Amino acid sequence: MENTKKKFNLRRFAIASAVLYIVLLIGPIVGLDIPVIVESVKANPLQLVQFFIIGISNGAIIAIIALGYTMVYGIIELINFAHGDVYMVGVFTSLTVLSVTGTLESKDPGKIVFGLILALVIAIVVCAVLNATIERLAYKRLRNAPRLAPLISAIGMSFIIENVGLMWAAQAWLVPSFGTTGGASQKVFPDMLGVLFTSMGWDVNLLASSGLALRLTIKDLLVIILAVTLMTGLYLFVQRTRLGKAMRATAQNRDAAKMLGIDIDWVITATFLIGGGLAGAAGLMAGLYNNTAWWFMGFRAGLQSFTAAVLGGIGNITGAMLGGFLIGLLASFSDGYLNARWTNALVFATLVLILLFRPTGLLGEQTGQKA
Amino acid sequence: MKNIRSGITFGIIGGLLTFLFGGWSVTVIGCLMGVGLGMGMAGRFERKDPLKIALAVLPSALTAAVLLVGLSLYQNNFVQEAIGKRPAAENTVLYGNLIGFLGTVLFTTLLAALRGLPEKQEQTARMILLAALIVAFPFVDKLTALRWTAQIIFALIFVILGLGLNIVVGYAGLLDLGYAAFFAIGAYTTGILSSPQHGIFMNFWLVIWIAAAMAALWGFMLGAPTLPLRGDYLAIVTLGFGEIVPVLFRNLIDVTIKEPFTCWILPGLIRLFGAETTMACITFVEHEDLTAGEKGISPIGRPVIPFINYEFQSSNPIPWYFLIIMIILLSVFIIRRLRDSRLGRAWMAIREDELAAAQMGINPVTTKLAAFAMGATFSGFAGAFYAAYIAGIFPSVFDFSASIIILCVVILGGIGNINGVIVGGLVIMTADRLFLPALKDFLSSLLTHTVLPSISDPVVQRAVSDNANPILYRFLFFGLTLVIMMAVRPEGLIPNAQVRAELHSNETPPIEDETPKSKKAKKG
Repeated sequence: MENTKKKFNLRRFAIASAVLYIVLLIGPIVGLDIPVIVESVKANPLQLVQFFIIGISNGAIIAIIALGYTMVYGIIELINFAHGDVYMVGVFTSLTVLSVTGTLESKDPGKIVFGLILALVIAIVVCAVLNATIERLAYKRLRNAPRLAPLISAIGMSFIIENVGLMWAAQAWLVPSFGTTGGASQKVFPDMLGVLFTSMGWDVNLLASSGLALRLTIKDLLVIILAVTLMTGLYLFVQRTRLGKAMRATAQNRDAAKMLGIDIDWVITATFLIGGGLAGAAGLMAGLYNNTAWWFMGFRAGLQSFTAAVLGGIGNITGAMLGGFLIGLLASFSDGYLNARWTNALVFATLVLILLFRPTGLLGEQTGQKA
Repeated sequence: MKNIRSGITFGIIGGLLTFLFGGWSVTVIGCLMGVGLGMGMAGRFERKDPLKIALAVLPSALTAAVLLVGLSLYQNNFVQEAIGKRPAAENTVLYGNLIGFLGTVLFTTLLAALRGLPEKQEQTARMILLAALIVAFPFVDKLTALRWTAQIIFALIFVILGLGLNIVVGYAGLLDLGYAAFFAIGAYTTGILSSPQHGIFMNFWLVIWIAAAMAALWGFMLGAPTLPLRGDYLAIVTLGFGEIVPVLFRNLIDVTIKEPFTCWILPGLIRLFGAETTMACITFVEHEDLTAGEKGISPIGRPVIPFINYEFQSSNPIPWYFLIIMIILLSVFIIRRLRDSRLGRAWMAIREDELAAAQMGINPVTTKLAAFAMGATFSGFAGAFYAAYIAGIFPSVFDFSASIIILCVVILGGIGNINGVIVGGLVIMTADRLFLPALKDFLSSLLTHTVLPSISDPVVQRAVSDNANPILYRFLFFGLTLVIMMAVRPEGLIPNAQVRAELHSNETPPIEDETPKSKKAKKG
């Protein structure tokens, strides 16, 4: 007995050291230069905490977008490829609202707060309606078609919305801060929260007085608090309300739910509305936190959130939140210690590895393996 | 009545196209339109006397020709002025329209009349006619100074890519959203092996095979981990690979490989015991620029025809045109043989029902891997040709949108149908490369000469002129293609009978409708 256990351990040790050797050998090609990383962590351990804070804040945004993926996948088993682009529309909508209401130039705290709340509401409504419209136009009639047809349709929708974003970013008459460089370049989303807190006389950095070389801003807190509120609200909604129950029933078995008198079409529309609304809220939050607006940002955000949804177990709302935070941390550490140019590839590699080795995800209930 | 309607549709589309291109384009458009119209209408007739068929299609041919020439003359006399150009010379107008008219009528009646021959002869005759047209095209293009050949070559590159993707998506039923990765691998293999980047200058005729082999190898290697996946998860993983590969090519600009044992582990241990060390560190590569990153690899060697020592030039597209036509012919030949082989039938069995196929003794693992590898091979050819033709490669060409454009080609043309994919590739890429730029020129000159002067508000003026650029809406068109095709005609323009039946399996089977169509599709 003891002998076999020893052998087993030896074999594991051999495999682990082989993997370590290979990582040390070819890791530096993709920026995974462990000795260098160890050195930089040793030199500035506080940076680790800093990346952790950034990762959690970005992870909160990713988690909210991931909720939209996971809910839609849970109900109609479709990867709503256009969801990331709905989030991009959320960023642009809120930026446009802020610009049209004159909030961008304002220094008056009351006006800024009002503008931000208005932007949040309008972004949520626009994205919710957009997402539901996408479902009506592109997915509804394909509900009984072979599985790949709605996916291809979703990719097409994603392209259409990306193009809308590209054109939107070129409309300098609508939002003067877009400038005249055309729609393809990244645009600045003004740091309204910074302006707001400065005008109220607060220091944005909460740790400024502690003397540590760390930044934990009110923005971080606000993003995390808003995200956690939205997630809790959604969780309670799905668990407690009648519509939430109908959603869960539809996810389990659409035909049976229909027989029991649930209006499937309305449940699916409601799912898309909620998912789109969350994406809209995430859009405003991401714009305020990262201060960029770009027509192509939905693609990267979409894939990160989809990875998060798969990592947590697709169809599982708690899983999507967990996955969002984990992917946020992964992306943040990769940005910090490897190189930002490898982050996308790393997230993709994570997605591939999860799908290959644990397709049910960390907390997964659904297998998602039906052909 | 239906025939006349086709004639009107074709005539109006062709005539509107002359709005964009002007000049001699009416001749080429007329002939191409005649071929399309004739082939389209031929299927509607029973096999009978060719002369009767010719007479029967003559009215619609004449309708199309009259519409074409009428619109073309209108263009020359009125539209040219509105876009601020001078009408073409009288000779050009007279001969261009005359040949265009005759070409439309002649080709329509001729191709429709071929239907009257026995099936074997009909196919041979049609082949000869199409071959003659394909050979004549670049020379006519040169004579008429339209300069379409260079763009048609891009369309043909995407035809090869579509044919390769068709093996994976159409035959084996595996949705691959990262197909451009293999295109990139083929192109970069060519770039690395025949450019000053590494000082290697290999012969193109050798490199193209190495590129294909390399793409096949990577198709095999990236296909292997996806075997347990199905449906949309497979699609997402291939998308992931398709994103990772360009990222690698973009960023492999500073490659360092050191042997870890001598570089870190031993020195680390020694330092742990407090001793100083100056060990020799085994280094394989240090700061090697493998792919030149964002600025791309260029110049890449061009093919040289041996014995006569003719080097292909970028200024003369005609040799390139014939080279890619030869590659396409070779690809079509190989793919047809593959499709009808044991392997091809195994692919289709896997596509229909993997479990049942496995039960019948088909090995799903090797069959799927063969599909990935064979599909990638053709993109290796396309990549090698592309790299040599452009004489430079840049990582941004191979991103996600390229994969989706190739997917558009397959889906628009018809999943699983070689002829469909060829038509799809030509339609999508000529629309992207010829039609949109021409439309952009047309609109911008129309705006500056006619529309903008009548708008007084400078803000509106600027907004209109900024947004009236159809090239900015490329993605919108590709997206619309996918969405509309999926909603209206998921089997594509020229469907494969089996795929069509499968895609409409949940509807009541239209039995009478199915028979003539399936006969037609079998030929593809």
